[in-house]
Amino acid sequence: MSAKVLDALKAAHGAAIDSVETQHGDAIAWVVRDRLLAVATWLKSDPAMAFDAPVFATCIDRLDWKPIDVPPGPPVYPASAGWTEDRPRFEVVYQLRSTRHRHRLRLKCAVPEHDARVPSLSSLWPAFNWQERETFDMYGISFDGHPDQRRIYLYDEFVGYPLRKDYPKEKRQPLVRRDDLPINPIKVPGGHR
Amino acid sequence: MTDVVKPPIEAPKPAPVPAPPSDSVNLTIDGMPVTVKKGTNVLEAARTLGIDISAFCYHPGLQVVAQCRQCLVSVEKNPKLQPSCQQTCGEGMVVHTTDPQSTLARKQQLEFTLLNHPIDCPICDKAGECTLQRLYFEHDNADSRVDVTKVHKAKVVDLGPTIVLDQERCILCSRCIRACDEVAGDHQLEFAHRGDHQILTTAPGAQLDNPYSLNTVDVCPVGALTAKDFRFTMRAWELEATPSVCNGCATGCNIEIHHKHDRAWRLVPRHNPDVNKYWMCDEGRLTYHELREHRLAGALVDGLPAGWDRAIRAAADHLSPILAASRQAVGVVLSAEASNEDNFALGKLAKAWGVGSVYVAARPDVPGRADGRLRVADVNPNRRGVQLIAEALALGARPIAELSADVRCLVMLGAELPGVAPARLAELGIIAITSHERGAAAGARIALPAAAWAEVAGTVTNAGGLVQRMHAAFAPPGQALPGWEAVVRLAQATAAGAAGKLSYTHAREVFKDMTQTVAAWSALVWAREARPLALRFAGSRG
Amino acid sequence: MAAPSTPTGPGDASNRSLKQLVLGRRDVQDLSDTEQELPSELMTINMGPSHPAMHGTVRIVLTVDGERIVASDVQPGYLHRCFEKESEYATYTQVFPYTDRLNYVSPMINNCGWAMVAEKLMGLTGKLPRRAEYIRVIVSEMSRMTDHLTCVGASAMELGAFTPFLYLLKCREWLYELLEKVSGARLTHSYVRIGGVGKDLTPNFDAELTLCLDQIVKVMVECESMLNHNKIFRDRMAGVGAMSKDDAIATGCVGPIARAAGVDYDVRKDYPYSVYPELEFDVPVGTTGDCYDRYLVRIEELKQCIRILRQCLKQIPDGPVMVDDPRVALPAKAATYNTIESMIRHFKHIMDGIKVPAGEAYAFVEGGNGELGFYVVADGTGRPYKAYVRSPSFVHLSTASQLIHGHLIADVVPIFGMINMIGGECDK
Repeated sequence: MSAKVLDALKAAHGAAIDSVETQHGDAIAWVVRDRLLAVATWLKSDPAMAFDAPVFATCIDRLDWKPIDVPPGPPVYPASAGWTEDRPRFEVVYQLRSTRHRHRLRLKCAVPEHDARVPSLSSLWPAFNWQERETFDMYGISFDGHPDQRRIYLYDEFVGYPLRKDYPKEKRQPLVRRDDLPINPIKVPGGHR
Repeated sequence: MTDVVKPPIEAPKPAPVPAPPSDSVNLTIDGMPVTVKKGTNVLEAARTLGIDISAFCYHPGLQVVAQCRQCLVSVEKNPKLQPSCQQTCGEGMVVHTTDPQSTLARKQQLEFTLLNHPIDCPICDKAGECTLQRLYFEHDNADSRVDVTKVHKAKVVDLGPTIVLDQERCILCSRCIRACDEVAGDHQLEFAHRGDHQILTTAPGAQLDNPYSLNTVDVCPVGALTAKDFRFTMRAWELEATPSVCNGCATGCNIEIHHKHDRAWRLVPRHNPDVNKYWMCDEGRLTYHELREHRLAGALVDGLPAGWDRAIRAAADHLSPILAASRQAVGVVLSAEASNEDNFALGKLAKAWGVGSVYVAARPDVPGRADGRLRVADVNPNRRGVQLIAEALALGARPIAELSADVRCLVMLGAELPGVAPARLAELGIIAITSHERGAAAGARIALPAAAWAEVAGTVTNAGGLVQRMHAAFAPPGQALPGWEAVVRLAQATAAGAAGKLSYTHAREVFKDMTQTVAAWSALVWAREARPLALRFAGSRG
Repeated sequence: MAAPSTPTGPGDASNRSLKQLVLGRRDVQDLSDTEQELPSELMTINMGPSHPAMHGTVRIVLTVDGERIVASDVQPGYLHRCFEKESEYATYTQVFPYTDRLNYVSPMINNCGWAMVAEKLMGLTGKLPRRAEYIRVIVSEMSRMTDHLTCVGASAMELGAFTPFLYLLKCREWLYELLEKVSGARLTHSYVRIGGVGKDLTPNFDAELTLCLDQIVKVMVECESMLNHNKIFRDRMAGVGAMSKDDAIATGCVGPIARAAGVDYDVRKDYPYSVYPELEFDVPVGTTGDCYDRYLVRIEELKQCIRILRQCLKQIPDGPVMVDDPRVALPAKAATYNTIESMIRHFKHIMDGIKVPAGEAYAFVEGGNGELGFYVVADGTGRPYKAYVRSPSFVHLSTASQLIHGHLIADVVPIFGMINMIGGECDK
């Protein structure tokens, strides 16, 4: 089922699809960032695709990606290659489902660190409104065309994007004054910067 | 009539492969073709393909002995299994590692090794980074088949000043014997007895006291050899590893700082084929202790604690009138123990001030330390770097022992001023940017706390001129800042003119400026901060 | 421009402005002193996060016109405990206690979901011993029951019906007692493991669960008789917070909320997992998608859960409860203490974690609120590189703003209650 979806996708959008793969039965398509909205619109409206149900939207930060014990064989990006500076750091992931045809698809879009923006898909599927806000909150990815891009889980004054790999887990940013807690007891290695 | 032994029927010859360049070899491992340099063994060739063949006694930096028989593989046209560490790749060789025969042989060898291995994991130092644990888990995972009393041997044998041996845990791989022989050049360990009573022991009349003895702890695949310095202090799986460079001498061995909870617990060598290969000396390993001794965590003004702002103002108040009155009265001391960035920033400031004299403070050479292996007589990590910086900035730097009589105020990096008499020190007003409160810095007029080498991102230049990058493992104590940042604050407070308006906000900016100034370094690139690596999830080091 | 009308006597029709005639509202200057009304502006009020009806701490900033809501800003995140960040620093087995605290009224289902995604990445799906699969289904359905009992009970209480709340929580308490016997804790079970479950069911489990279910059936008859045709209950729930089928799909709604709107989607039927294909049960689907339908769907699901549980108790085979794969199964304790092989294996399991091969997978189960999914990116080490929870409560809460629009403030209570927004799952 997933192979048919991927084939149809490649046939219809050719250059907009960087690559496709199947992992553990899940169909994954890598889409070029500029064409993401067009591909998503087609996926929703095309009767053979009919992806009407949004499942989730999130992001992967590949900064620390260094897989170990990868079984020998031809390398499949990004599974068996560690992250290097020339690769885009983030991958925005959208999972879609079709109620009519019961197939599922995962769209991925590579996003570089210096230009962390992606077109928003919230106009097509309202569920992605909040999920894109969550991705913005946690990873700092900007969604162009999002009607209400602000933090959702964290308070507005929060500095930084916590799910990024270079945000230390132990860092504290209390919003209200806490005299019983030292601010940031574990400092960032390398000093304060 | 003699029986005629017919030759075995040969498989049809494969299509002719174009002749490879003379120094590489084509072979097939597990159905995958691979091309390696001539002389490579099959184990290394398999590793390039991502195939992990279990091995104990093989170490890429030591002689191959094929002692443990753990790496047996099947080579076609060869009736017996071959140890892949010793088997040189041949043209057209076909190797199988997943066939039932060699897989069984490797599992049986692990079973054999584990027969008499004590159930010490909960109390063993190597737990968490033990090769035996890893290989058993990844390549065997079979249950025990016997229920007999294990052979007992001595558990706590004092081999020398640095190492303790547990004879029961030893799997007799002989890596430590070869490490002493080849790395230290001193035969101090050997096997005694044989069979299941074979033990590791010191050579007759010797103890394990060569200056590279702690490398045996690194190469030991199990917890048989443990370092007295490290044993029972910290669990390996808690540690995080940050790459850096040893600051013990001018060799600049590449190391990993293993740290947790904001302190270093040990230093281990990192592989660098050009500098230190897989090894480092014991003295260098123990330099992490000084990161916690006599540290200056806050600024001192006249021996009393002060904040940064007050200390900088006091320094500026002390310095500016003297500078205004007579440039000859101020001296700047660069340090061969500080990083390139610290020295460059201070050198630039010195130039902007137009001070009379610039000096270099370096610890005196240790005669007899040089042994032609890793240790050299120069125990300063960055003498060469300071020289190059001083030349590029045209500072006319001289050794500190030649301190001019005119100098009444010194701005110095580091803590020591070797060669300067205490009486002379007492009459100088010293502003010290130092990580340690000792030596000349202990009596300084103003002491500004600097971060030590393990706490900063920076570079040092070894004796061969190689610039190597240090990464910060943890934050400096208290209010200490990187040395260049202290220099920047001082520069901004003393209003040293446009050239002195140092405005660096990150070490990479200092580096960029520096590489544009020092011609020899113009092609160097600043690497991204090393990400902390949790040893627990990084696979075994053995 | 016409000059503002000067105040004249009351009831003077000739002086009424166009605004008065059309909107029925009068400007302040149109009124005499005795007729001054309260200024009718929109009012912004805050509901939560510390509020009895905002289960699990959610803040809704309401803009109301009198009692009617004209705009709302739903602000979750007060229970955000960084599940995803913490999971990146814990081994796969250490994440189970974190999953307990996601949807904390149905923790076993979260456990099962997490185990399933790790098994999918390791290729163990479908290879678990059947007894382990049946146990997982049993405890999952028991957790689903506790979820629905809590939701219905709490919602009823908030509408004033305290008695069904206590009755339903009594049922929940029986289930909790059983789950505590099996796993050791009432709520933070951490019972499921990758490759099976932690330990077997207690010896008398069959009889105890059967007794429990029989009692629950009786209590539910009582509660339904109290609520189903109760005028107050129906008036407050029926027609309130309706959602159309297309809206439900487009906004990502799943579970009882989507089913109440007419979307026939249940993961157990549409993408079956575990031993659900061998069990017979129906999936209730509503029509209008209002709160009353959601309530009915949940009541019916409770009955189906009981049906599933009875079948499981009949069909459950004997056997091991953990797959016989040394990559995931801890060795027996006696062997661990007495042989080096098992000691090493135990050690590597606990310290390094279960090594999951590099790759990514999305595995999902039917949680109390619908499709609960875990999207894990693995890098070959013992801890996940990324662990994302597709939490149905989060998605449903995003529809809350739309659902309460135009309703009265009092309607927020049943709507919010029937969304069953579990704070732990929503905020992760």
